[in-house]
Amino acid sequence: MSTPRTRLAGKVVKYGVLIVGAVVATGPILFALYTSFELPADYPRLVSFGRLTLWNYRYVFDNAPVLRWYGNTAFVTFGVIVGAVVVNTLAGYALARIRYPGRTVTFLVVLAILMVPLQAILIPLYLLVAQLGWLNSYQALIIPFIANPFLIFLMRQSFQALPTDLEEAAVIDGAGRFRSFFTIAVPLTMSGIATQALLAGTWTWNAFMIPVTFTTDPNHYMLTVGLNSLQSQFYTLTTVQMAGVVLLTVPIVLMFLVFQRLIVPSFATAGIRG
Amino acid sequence: MWFIYPIVETVILAFQRVNLFHFSQRSYIGLTNFRQLWEDPAFHHSLFITLTFVVLVVPAQTVVALVLASILQSVGFGKTAFRTAFFLPYMTSTVAVTTVFMKLFVEGGPLSTAAARVLGVSNTTWYAYPSYALPFLVIVYVYMYIGLYVVVFMAGIENVPAELYEAAKVDGAGVFQRFRHVTVPSVRPHVFFVVVAGFIQAVQIFDQAYVIASSGAILGSPAGATATLVIFLYQQAFRLNDLGYGSAVAVVLLVIVFFGMALTRRLLPERS
Repeated sequence: MSTPRTRLAGKVVKYGVLIVGAVVATGPILFALYTSFELPADYPRLVSFGRLTLWNYRYVFDNAPVLRWYGNTAFVTFGVIVGAVVVNTLAGYALARIRYPGRTVTFLVVLAILMVPLQAILIPLYLLVAQLGWLNSYQALIIPFIANPFLIFLMRQSFQALPTDLEEAAVIDGAGRFRSFFTIAVPLTMSGIATQALLAGTWTWNAFMIPVTFTTDPNHYMLTVGLNSLQSQFYTLTTVQMAGVVLLTVPIVLMFLVFQRLIVPSFATAGIRG
Repeated sequence: MWFIYPIVETVILAFQRVNLFHFSQRSYIGLTNFRQLWEDPAFHHSLFITLTFVVLVVPAQTVVALVLASILQSVGFGKTAFRTAFFLPYMTSTVAVTTVFMKLFVEGGPLSTAAARVLGVSNTTWYAYPSYALPFLVIVYVYMYIGLYVVVFMAGIENVPAELYEAAKVDGAGVFQRFRHVTVPSVRPHVFFVVVAGFIQAVQIFDQAYVIASSGAILGSPAGATATLVIFLYQQAFRLNDLGYGSAVAVVLLVIVFFGMALTRRLLPERS
């Protein structure tokens, strides 16, 4: 049996491990944050807070089209989110509620494709985009990524969790399919829809392989690709690169801190993807 | 259709000769691409690199995540805060994380110096030194993914009835015995899931390896030490312009992933 003393010791050890883990997890991010405010000449020494400046941020904005990359990333992310919410919500609803021939087959296909890596279909996607003349365009980064098997699956589960009574009642009251979809089903699955928007947004914001393959013109770069190009451009300027890292990371971290209650469980249940 | 088209197209392309810059001229060449793969030492090398990577990554991330998750579930105060901290790296971009770690593991950098002092390895630029480049990728990768699997395991441990732990305590089981005989058996399906999903995810490693090599002309540098399967695919298709050959590699990747998936599906009933 454990005595109070051993229990205390156990607690100390447990929190010790957790604190080490938390330091390891956040350390590199804090390192980037701190370094991004250091003058290049001061790196890698530690300096007092009084010596920290915005010099790197000014430098990176002056010497690379960072604003443009921000705009591209924001636009593409927004486009994918809007498209994804419309398409995957409708598809999920159809799989959950509408009886049509081949529904089971469709659902099985969606399940089977859940884990097909983007890497394996990159070449045909590239060919398609190239044939359409879409290289270096926004639509190439948006349209192929709207319909997503995982998000369809997520929405199907949300709609299926709803009791059918409400919608049936609405139908008895004379509401059509569309009316009951928009006034009953959609409002009740708002948290599922919000989760979907957050996941699609995170994936698109952080996407790298697709934008680096589909864009060659720096004006069409997304932030991730731009940041990667900074590496060779400012090879010796570590502090400037870290400013780039912070610019890329801050929006997604803020978004995560605000919405983590929605994001974390959705990754935990099935979200082994992306 | 939307989803099936690119998969079917990948398979078709694998039996063709297609050049990146003349992609409208496609000719069937049968199994030539696969025969060439079978004999290509660079392909064998990429399989070997990927296998080594997976063998290093999967056990490490599974064990660490399970231990962290079980500690996290057993403490009362600060659970959410720690979970947030652990999950944070998974939310950040692969490019950002790799860029930061490249600075931490540069010759004379904070972590390479610490590693040299503690482990006695040489203080060098890890991603540019052939025998350190793959371990470097492993560190960057595991750093990002542990948080995800911690959350998966936490969900599993949450479902273990508290009475089991109480009963084990009454029987005099210590912390380690409870972990070994209550936690581990109860979350066995989750362990299996994390191993298989982690495997499927890890064989696709690309971004991190691309980032460390992108200042050079050849992907997979230094000296092919990070030439993973997908890096090999990318190199063939988009640097050497042979889309057919790249697609043959993609088919191999698909087969590997489907193999992993078949294993999960078989275990799915046990999970629910």
